[in-house]
Amino acid sequence: MYKLLLCLRYLQTRYLAFICIVSVMLGVATLIVVNAVMSGFSTKLKDRLHGVLSDIVIDTDRIEGMFVFAKNAEDDRRPLLTADQICKMIEDSPAGDRIEAVSPTIEVFAILQFPFRGQTQTKPVRLIGIDPVRRAAVGGFSEYLVRQRGLPNPSFDLSPDALLQHDWNKRRQQREDELMNQPEPPGVIRIPDPNAPAPIPAPRMDLDKGMPEAKLSGVIPGYTLAHLRYRNLAGDVMEEVALSPGDAVTITTIGGANIRPVWGSFLVTDYIKTEMSEYDQSFVYVPLDQLQKIRGMDGRCTAIQIRLKNYDQDKAFVTAELKKLFGESDIRIATWEENQGPLLAAIDVERGILNLLLFMIVGVAGFSILAIFTMIVSEKYRDIGILKSLGASSGGVMSIFLGYGLLLGTVGCGFGTVLGLWITYRINTIEKFLTEVTGVAVFPRDVYYFKDIPTNIDPMNVLLVNLGAIAIATVFSILPSYRAARLHPVRALRFE
Amino acid sequence: MLKAEKLFKTYRRHAVQVRVLTGLELEVRTGEFLSIVGASGSGKSTLLHLLGTLDAPDSGTISLDGKRIDNLPARERDLLRNKTFGYIFQFYHLLPELNTLDNVLMPAYIAHSTTGWWKSRAKWRARAEELLKKVGLGHRLKHRPRELSGGEMQRAAVARALLAHPRVLLADEPTGNLDAETGGEIVRLLRDLNREEGVTIVMVTHNLDIVHATDRVVRMVGGTVTEDSRSFQPRPHLAAI
Repeated sequence: MYKLLLCLRYLQTRYLAFICIVSVMLGVATLIVVNAVMSGFSTKLKDRLHGVLSDIVIDTDRIEGMFVFAKNAEDDRRPLLTADQICKMIEDSPAGDRIEAVSPTIEVFAILQFPFRGQTQTKPVRLIGIDPVRRAAVGGFSEYLVRQRGLPNPSFDLSPDALLQHDWNKRRQQREDELMNQPEPPGVIRIPDPNAPAPIPAPRMDLDKGMPEAKLSGVIPGYTLAHLRYRNLAGDVMEEVALSPGDAVTITTIGGANIRPVWGSFLVTDYIKTEMSEYDQSFVYVPLDQLQKIRGMDGRCTAIQIRLKNYDQDKAFVTAELKKLFGESDIRIATWEENQGPLLAAIDVERGILNLLLFMIVGVAGFSILAIFTMIVSEKYRDIGILKSLGASSGGVMSIFLGYGLLLGTVGCGFGTVLGLWITYRINTIEKFLTEVTGVAVFPRDVYYFKDIPTNIDPMNVLLVNLGAIAIATVFSILPSYRAARLHPVRALRFE
Repeated sequence: MLKAEKLFKTYRRHAVQVRVLTGLELEVRTGEFLSIVGASGSGKSTLLHLLGTLDAPDSGTISLDGKRIDNLPARERDLLRNKTFGYIFQFYHLLPELNTLDNVLMPAYIAHSTTGWWKSRAKWRARAEELLKKVGLGHRLKHRPRELSGGEMQRAAVARALLAHPRVLLADEPTGNLDAETGGEIVRLLRDLNREEGVTIVMVTHNLDIVHATDRVVRMVGGTVTEDSRSFQPRPHLAAI
């Protein structure tokens, strides 16, 4: 009983103990906040990755697309399957019952060109040919569209305002062409300068004579591709529309039997905004059939996106069945996690290292407990002698100080958890306050594309942080406690 | 009751050796109020520590009721200090974080586990309050030691020493830090306890003024007993005090 009594009294009366509590509290609060924010970023990133990517992807490195032949043993001239036939084969396989939706796609690198501020903008992009309805069924598409958000049947069709914009663009182009081709007014005599360099032709959309005229094929570029972001003189982030719905773009990629440059003109119908900067600044969606035609792919595709009815439960079975179905070939079958393995592993490693480094803060708190406990034990020499003269055992004396360490750790953890959770729940308010006070953006939203700082509190993580901190507080109080226990009662009573 | 035979004790610090007890022989009888006098450094306090098992002799034996107690395991010595012996120190040695009542209750806190304490706390509280009333501190139960005078602190220490009904009270210079009047009160309190409750008291003092209150006086010189009460005579000019 005396151990508990003295632990509590020492906690109430020793102001040095307050320093220990504050050390542990700050360490625990920091760990909880950083873990919550890291977990928030990680969860949001995973959600977005999984949101954009289908559950299982079947793809090939062959730029010509998948070469899958019909399985017909009686016929040596087995026909090459089209994308739709491959999808049918997948749906008819044993894994078919567990598949929600299948969508063939073509993914290939390309160059996107469009006029902006009198110049032709050229950007490397990832060109994806899709059937919008089937792609939407797989998921990770229509929910990220800006103008057709959440529609079950998104399309590449131009909306009325996009058609108006296209018409206006056409008429403007015609007017510009008329002005450029006007004859010289009578009476103007131009004296040619023999030293003048040859005139450089103004940049134009039709870079090649073979460029087909823009047809009403839609394109959905990434939001960042279509919107220019910059900082004005005041330092504010500004956004300017570079591509409006109805604007024409030219996309150049490679295709054909001899892998040569091919191109096509498309009209912007919508934007895709995944809030993943890598995707928003590189993804360009075009109709699958149009891309097949431009690239001469004869109904083939380079990838098949699959959505499962229950991803966690069925991923292993479906992957195994698909591997059996496609056999030994250059076709790769992987879940979205396997495809993003290095990135996801990097996030986990980063979080682990950060946790390790931050736990050193609690380690520092542990050393402060060691130092302060050593001082307290020195102060309490005489008390230890009194207790021993009254019959307290050495183990009992050790228990007082170990219990004291445990109590300090527990109280510090309790306050630290409350503080950490409070900061986590109020982190965006705190961030805004700090930004207002310091004038420096603590969380620049244009960098992260998040409206708010994402947080995710994992109760298990909070528990582990608490247990770790309490263990450190207790472990660091062992040495001073042992010294107290070893103290000879007579020497302690004579201590001045 | 309490017997020390051929006790030797030497304190060593680096190369320096101080021989404190040199073959001391002493027997304390049951119910006796014994005072041990002697000059500073004569070994009085060391003897008290050895008798109360706070320290162990280099050689010789100490026995209680014929049973050796100088070589007991640590746990049994702890029990002896908790239940059989009561200590009173010159500097009171109350725990500053606790109030008077909790200080007095400390031997009971030590004797009981947390669950055991809640079962018997009422009995112990009553005993502690009764003792504090007896020593004149019934109105000071919730006061911290720093709020008490020297005499009050020593009376609280006496109450603490008596809480567990000890058979032997070991008092080390109980009046050494008090003025003559307050010291006299403490000695009278000890004498009353000895007579009314039959507690055996061994009191170490170098103050010859207070030994007249005790049953027996022994003088120590150079780590051994040189005189006992029959031959011991207080100095004439102090006898009247």
